[in-house]
This record gives sequence, structure tokens and C-alpha cells, in this order.
Amino acid sequence: MNAVSPTPTKKYDLSFARWVRDNIDGGDRMNMCMQCGVCSGSCPLSDQMDLGPRKIFMMVRAGMKEAVLKSNSFFQCVSCYNCVVRCPREVPVKYILHGLGRLAIQEGYQDKKDVANARFADAFWWSVTTFGKTDERLVPTLYFFSAGFVEGIKKSLANLKIALGMLKTKRMHIGMPHKTKNRGELKAILEKAVEIQARHEGGA
Amino acid sequence: MGKKFTFYPGCSSEGSGVHLDTSTRAVMAKLGFELEDISDWNCCGASVGDLAAGHLPTAALSARNLAQAKEQGDQDVMTACAACYLNTHATNEEIRDNEQSRADLNEALAAAGKSYDGSLHVRHACEVLVNDVGMDAIKAQVSNPLEGLKVAGYIGCQTVRPFAGTERGGDYSEYDHPSFLDDFIKASGAEAVDFENATSCCGGSVAVMKPEQTLHLMHKILSEAKEKQADVIATPCPLCQTNVEMYQDAINKKYGTDFNIPVVFHTQLLAVAMGLDSKKDAALHQNIIPADKLKAMAK
Repeated sequence: MNAVSPTPTKKYDLSFARWVRDNIDGGDRMNMCMQCGVCSGSCPLSDQMDLGPRKIFMMVRAGMKEAVLKSNSFFQCVSCYNCVVRCPREVPVKYILHGLGRLAIQEGYQDKKDVANARFADAFWWSVTTFGKTDERLVPTLYFFSAGFVEGIKKSLANLKIALGMLKTKRMHIGMPHKTKNRGELKAILEKAVEIQARHEGGA
Repeated sequence: MGKKFTFYPGCSSEGSGVHLDTSTRAVMAKLGFELEDISDWNCCGASVGDLAAGHLPTAALSARNLAQAKEQGDQDVMTACAACYLNTHATNEEIRDNEQSRADLNEALAAAGKSYDGSLHVRHACEVLVNDVGMDAIKAQVSNPLEGLKVAGYIGCQTVRPFAGTERGGDYSEYDHPSFLDDFIKASGAEAVDFENATSCCGGSVAVMKPEQTLHLMHKILSEAKEKQADVIATPCPLCQTNVEMYQDAINKKYGTDFNIPVVFHTQLLAVAMGLDSKKDAALHQNIIPADKLKAMAK
């Protein structure tokens, strides 16, 4: 996989923490964390997280990159922003978790096939880059089948009644996906943004 | 009144949240606002774009929408979708306030011959109802008060967090005990039950990916609505509406409950209360669990 951040070689090596500070959205405020735990305490799914944000921030500072990037915590985040509005030091917790989650996949610390969120996010991004919009039929279907054919059939059947309800109430349509017309323009903008992001991650 | 907005409908407006779109347009028109859609808009990236592509490409989605909006004029941009608001507003501020982001996103926009300076103002439709309209003006349009309807006002997350309690978000709500949704409900003539889970999370997109890990969140919301004997739950968020409605079967199976509680948008309540058409304006036929009591009140 593609290692973009430095891996500390000894305890309390700050190289990874500094990289997070400079490259992860919101990472520049991580130093403000005073370990009060309001973030983990106000998180609706922290009971399903192995570490939770408070521990993660301390472990980043302690140079424990591998243990951090193997955490399941990033992928329990429901983007409720309780942590963001409640943090007394204004650390944008959710943003940092999402950035670290992406890094965990990017650097191969976690395999996409084991991370439902990453497979869902890929299906979503495919729809956005292909049509300019989220297709609420294709994104879940692609996601259901991303874990294999049998799993795909099982998940599709489990959601059949919901899909039929959506069709019946015309909240799901039959036919081609809704599209942004000037997709060439959107594609050019997104490709450039990806290029700039890679440039920054490479240290520029 | 008579104010014009550039309107960002967002992906759910053409699918799962079409009834929010329909009822928002109807209520806003009744209140005298003109909405002009952002021409050829694209997705905002919701809450998962950043995991797939990273922050900058996700922000570039909103940057294109904002550049389009700016080409249509300097009027405020309004959206009724919680996630669209969050992403569009956040990117707008980033372009306005962060020099590096402004440079990066303009470099990306330049690939399509576009640019944007962050000079627009992005607003949530609920904030517009509170700050630009006010409850008295809403009440003045209510010709068909929903007397006897008990409503659990469920706001969810991203409509209010992280911006509604800040000056830059219009400062129209606090986070723990917001009152604006109950105010809309009362303005419609209905009764707002005291709802402690008003800003609890339904699971958001994680509910779509991994319902088994989030059903307990929606169970909590539905249990309180039932305990408070609400006839309907009303929410401003398209994902909350869909999640809390469509997972009731799965929740009943898992917890042995018998929930069958209609989940409507606050704008559907207001449309009916304003005497607008129950189908064409309030789109009540698009709730999977029919809101029969509300429908019976419609003119």
C-alpha cells in the first residue's frame, strides 16, 4: 500500500503527530486536546469503538501509529457532531477521525474488504464521479454486493421491502440515474483536486 | 418578503427526500420567497465522500456548486437538506477564511474555467424560517390549524450541529434543548410533545451501511415518541426521515415492538396547516407509513 505518513521508530517520536497536524483536516487543533473525554462520552457509538477519540489523540502523540491506524473507531463514527460542538477546546474531533480512517485504508493498515464504511464510501464516490449525484438505488446495491455475491443477495433481499416501499411512494424511480449535465467539468475539477491533495500529502 | 434565494436541492430531493423538497418549495412560496435552483448542481459529498476521496476532492464538489450559485447572483444560498447545508456552508467558510484552501479549491475550479471567492452566504431553510420569517409571520399563513395532532419534534444532528448555535450559522438554536422545531409545530396549531431525543442521532449513513449497529439508536427515538403518545414524528432532515421510517420493521423484529409511527417533515405539517394541497404541496402520499391523522386534517 501507499505509505504517505512517517512511521515513528521509538516511543514519543512526534513525526507522525506532526504529519497529522499538517495533513489531516482539523489535525492542527489536535494539540489542544486535554484528555477530558467529553468527545468519547458524548459519542452515540463509543461503546462499539475499541479506542474512542480521546485515547486515539493521546496515542497519536505517543507515536503509536500502527495501533491507532488498526482501530475500528473511525468506522463507527455516525457524523453526529456531538464531539465537535461539545469539545471545550474546539478540537474538530469528527474531522480528524475521518481523516485518520482514510489514512488507515490508504496505507493498508486495514483491508477495505473488512471495512463496510470504506466499501460504501467507494460505491458512493463512484456514483458521484460517474453521474455527479448519489443514485440511491445503485449505491446501496453496489455496496451490498461489495462483500461478495451471496452477501449481496442476502442484503438485497433483507432490503427488498424497503425498496418496494420507496418505489410505491415514488421516492425511488425506475430508469436512468439522475445526472449532472456538465460531468466533464465536474470530472476536471475533481481530478485537479485529487492531484493537489496528493501534492500536499507528498510534502508540498 | 419577496426575497429571492438560490436554492440547492441536493440528491435526496430527487429520491428519498422528494417530499421534503416539494413541501419546502410550497411553504417557501406561500411565505413569499422565490427560489431559483443552482443550475446543474452536483452532490455535496454527504458524510462519506471524505473517506473515499479525502477532504479536498469532497470540498471541490461544494466549490463547484458555489461557483455556479455565484454566477447566478449574490443572493443567499438556501438548502433544506442537513448534509447539503453542512458541506456547502463549511466549504463556503473554508474558501472565505482559509487562504490555502481558497488557493487549492480555486486551482481545482480553474480546471473548468471557474473561480469562487467565498462571498456568498449559505443558509439552512430552518434558519431562514426562524430569522427571516419568524413564528408570527408563519402563524399568519396558518388557515387550517392542526388542532389535536400530537407531534414529536425530532431534529437529528446535522441540521443544528455544528453550526446552528454559532453566529456564522445564524445563531437560531442551541444544541441540547433547541426550540425551533417545536415552535414550527406549535405555529402549525399542533401540540409539540416534550421530546428528549430531539437531537439524538438516528445513525445517519452508518444506519444504511450497518443497520445492526444502529437500530438501538432509532429504537430509543421511536420508544420515546410512542411513550409520549405522538401521532407523528416530524423532522427537518431527509436522512432522519428515511431511516426512522424505513427501519421500523427491522426494529420491531429485533425488539419485539409494534412501532408504526408516521415520520413526516416539518414542512409537510406546515403545508397542511397553511391549507395547501395534501398531495401536490404537502406530498403526504410519499410517506411510506401514511400519516392518516394528518391527512384527514388536510383541506
